[in-house]
Amino acid sequence: MSISMALLSPSTHLPSLSPSSYPKPLLTLKPYLSLRPKSPLFTTKASAENGAGAPGSAATAVEAEPKVREPAEPVAVKSGSSGEANGSAGPAAEVEVVSLFEDARWVNGTWDLKQFEKSGKTDWDAVIDAEARRRKWLQDNPESSSNDNPILFDTSIVPWWAWVKRYHLPEAELLNGRAAMVGFFSAYLVDSLTGVGLVDQMGNFFCKTLLFVAVAGVLLIRKNEDVENLRKLLDETTFYDKQWQATWQDETPGNPK
Amino acid sequence: MASATQAAIFGSLFAAPLHTKPRSVTIRIRASKSSNPPIVGRKLRAAVIGAGPAGSSAAEALAAGGVECFLFERSPSGAKPCGGAIPLCMLDEFDIPARLIDRHVTRMRIFSPSNLAVDFGKTLQPNEFIAMLRREVLDSFLRDRAQSRGASLISGLVTSLEIPTSSHAPYVVHYSKDSARHALAVDVVIGADGANSRVAKSIKAGSYACAIAFQERIKLTDDKMEYYEDLAEMYVGNDVSPDFYAWVFPKCDHVAVGTGTVCSKQDIKVFQRAIRARANAKISGGKVIKVEAHPIPEHPRPTRVRGRVALIGDAAGYVTKCSGEGIYFAAKSGRMCGEAIIKASEGGERMINEDDLKREYLKVWDAKYITTFRFLDLLQKVFYGSDAAREALVELCGDEYVQRMTFESYLYKKLADGNRWEDAKMVFNTVGSLMRCNILGKKMEGLKL
Repeated sequence: MSISMALLSPSTHLPSLSPSSYPKPLLTLKPYLSLRPKSPLFTTKASAENGAGAPGSAATAVEAEPKVREPAEPVAVKSGSSGEANGSAGPAAEVEVVSLFEDARWVNGTWDLKQFEKSGKTDWDAVIDAEARRRKWLQDNPESSSNDNPILFDTSIVPWWAWVKRYHLPEAELLNGRAAMVGFFSAYLVDSLTGVGLVDQMGNFFCKTLLFVAVAGVLLIRKNEDVENLRKLLDETTFYDKQWQATWQDETPGNPK
Repeated sequence: MASATQAAIFGSLFAAPLHTKPRSVTIRIRASKSSNPPIVGRKLRAAVIGAGPAGSSAAEALAAGGVECFLFERSPSGAKPCGGAIPLCMLDEFDIPARLIDRHVTRMRIFSPSNLAVDFGKTLQPNEFIAMLRREVLDSFLRDRAQSRGASLISGLVTSLEIPTSSHAPYVVHYSKDSARHALAVDVVIGADGANSRVAKSIKAGSYACAIAFQERIKLTDDKMEYYEDLAEMYVGNDVSPDFYAWVFPKCDHVAVGTGTVCSKQDIKVFQRAIRARANAKISGGKVIKVEAHPIPEHPRPTRVRGRVALIGDAAGYVTKCSGEGIYFAAKSGRMCGEAIIKASEGGERMINEDDLKREYLKVWDAKYITTFRFLDLLQKVFYGSDAAREALVELCGDEYVQRMTFESYLYKKLADGNRWEDAKMVFNTVGSLMRCNILGKKMEGLKL
């Protein structure tokens, strides 16, 4: 009751929903961003602009500036992907009331794969980069959904091997390398301590357990933060259950019925 | 001799506390007939505080079973701020007549943070739909039905509940009606008074985390309203809610546009502005006719039964995560609690106690629905955590098998029987989508810094 009262009083002054009551995002893009002071995106952007690292801040500053002045043109000046075939020198910015994501290669709600060709084949890395940039843009400038321009691109359009080649294989190499190093040195250590050779170690139950722990450890704990994350994950997964079982824990003997 | 007996007495005194404090929870389950004392000269008296779907269903079950039931309601004509969507199984189980239904929603559209839209509902049979009702219509129908079964409706505000000090003394319900204070003595109390339950406070049931749901009812022009004829929309994204979803639900002659959140309640107005912006093309030009907000419990209270008081519905915290559905579970828990009391008291002839309530109501309820609640909690944790996960969710929803499973589980509240092979494919696709979207998410983080 009190919550609804508190919320109802200020908003009784908002009778109508005409489009003119919206701040014009192009001309007042910065104030629009400032309407959400608690948004973590805004605060981290501010910290980046405050010069976290010289090249980094320069990059974001340059990247942010064109976004303010020409919202129709996300500048692909220094992109991470080397395979960008066509520079996105799109059309000059048109002053529109609503700033939409625009890119020469974004056609009819999906990426025009023909524009991503490199030596006759589609450059999937560039597609992934472009999509990441589009989603980042939308995170900062959410667009209104519309039936006239439906979005049709989803990540399943990029074939599985493109993802594997770019993201899985390097990580797999890293993890396999770690596992090999850990394995070699543990085998050497056990051999030097007990005299049991590698082949004989594999027959021992304790050694097999150690092997399992080593593999699991390499897979699960890839960064220092993972230890804490795993513990939090375990707590989280059992928390809801604990809340449900709470009523069954409440056995207070001697309570008057 | 005397000292030996004295030692024995002292020994048993010391031993007794050790035995009466069990480390593990023991629930004495008596399969034989009840050993509760029979009530002479009258039937068991029950008070149901709150006459929403939960309270009315409980009162109906109690009255039909022969218990003398008093149903308390402080505002019989109140219109609750609520989505108003009920599943098909509720229409069957609670015999809701078709004339109460405002709309049959057969299409649902989910929008990802990047506005990728997926149409849910391709798999619905012609006779399947989500029923949209006005809460005041549904609530008054259920209340009238409870009254016709024999429950006495009291339009008054319950101010406090007096807990008895001895085991068979009655509970006293203090209430005010027509500016006069009254008191009513009853044997059993069912708390169905919602998220800010006074009954829960009286029995010190503990509190729970609440989400806040905020919505504006907007009257659209006819052509825009036609678009929402049988379509409901769901929007996900950090801009509209950091841990829940925003919606545009059609009601009788207007749409309800709203959003909810647990962790950022102070930003709810910002989120509301954002959902209006996201749906702008479809709702612009509309007039806001009402603004409302309500807390939604996130999980059950630490104690749901104490003494001869049981909590049901929102008061107990029976709202699923992920979808925030509460009406069906409120009504069902009311009915189950009422039937539990009938069974334990053998039609109102015997007194009941806390163990009866726990055994016949809580245990049965938990056994039946805890998996559903746990599963939806898992879905919420996995898919509502970040924009990347939300994109994955919307991608997955494009799959027909997922849609069919979701709708069947929602409409019939039963684990839909699926195909093992399709299940495996679904799990595979889930993992794949989550991984791809998380990769994009990490790239997006890289762009920010």
